[in-house]
Amino acid sequence: MTADRAHPNYVAIWVWLVILMLTGVLATLLPLEKSAVIGLIFAVAAVKAVLVALNYMHLKSENWLIYALAIVPVLLVVAMTLVLFPDIVYRH
Amino acid sequence: MRMAVVSEQSAPARRGKIAVWWLIASEVMIFGGALSCYILARTAGPGWSAEAAHLSAILATINTFVLLTSSMTMAMAFAAYQKADQRGVCRFLLCTILLGLAFLGIKAYEYISHIADGLAPWSGSFWSFYYLLTGLHALHVIAGIIVNIILLLAAGKGLHTGYRIEIAGLYWHFVDIVWIFLFPLLYLSY
Repeated sequence: MTADRAHPNYVAIWVWLVILMLTGVLATLLPLEKSAVIGLIFAVAAVKAVLVALNYMHLKSENWLIYALAIVPVLLVVAMTLVLFPDIVYRH
Repeated sequence: MRMAVVSEQSAPARRGKIAVWWLIASEVMIFGGALSCYILARTAGPGWSAEAAHLSAILATINTFVLLTSSMTMAMAFAAYQKADQRGVCRFLLCTILLGLAFLGIKAYEYISHIADGLAPWSGSFWSFYYLLTGLHALHVIAGIIVNIILLLAAGKGLHTGYRIEIAGLYWHFVDIVWIFLFPLLYLSY
């Protein structure tokens, strides 16, 4: 077992996550177009997810193999959605 | 300055982490497929704004807060393990378990309220997706709680939980990330 390792400040990360959560909720009250609000709240969600992955899951200090295991399936899911999007959304 | 390596790097820890990341990769495809279907169906269809308006954004916000806090306590359990602080490990694991149970309790209250209002899984496509996505997520929360209880019992008996805290944490944080996306998809996009 190891001691004295430099951890991210878990409490500070949590504070940021809570601030971002409230930002996402409050964004729904903004007098903007629906698409702009949805874009904003999902951008906030993406930042929260990255914060958790980098700091709580320690992706910051992992090697390329773990990065690949984390990123490749996400890219596949995004690609799958984007490829199906024109066919399903614009034909219905 | 680059942050020092904080995660465990011993050979068993590396093997365990790679195995859990493989599991997470497969889970990303499961949740990703379901979320993708939901996004496409919602975009192509009528939008389900009326249905989504039945959901309580306040309860979901509280649940998001609970789950984000549980991620912090899980990370702090790992930090306590690295400081050889066995009592800290037990304390933070217990907090994580209790927060997970609180999440499930609020979710159960939501389900009961919806069903009492006649909004069951067969009440329409939106509700089918809602129960599927949140139900699948809740099953993962239950699995995470069971793993954490096993670790807590082992730590309470003074057994060496070792790098397993970090591995259990990876799974728990992944479940948190899934909720981070479910929250706006279901509760805020109406």
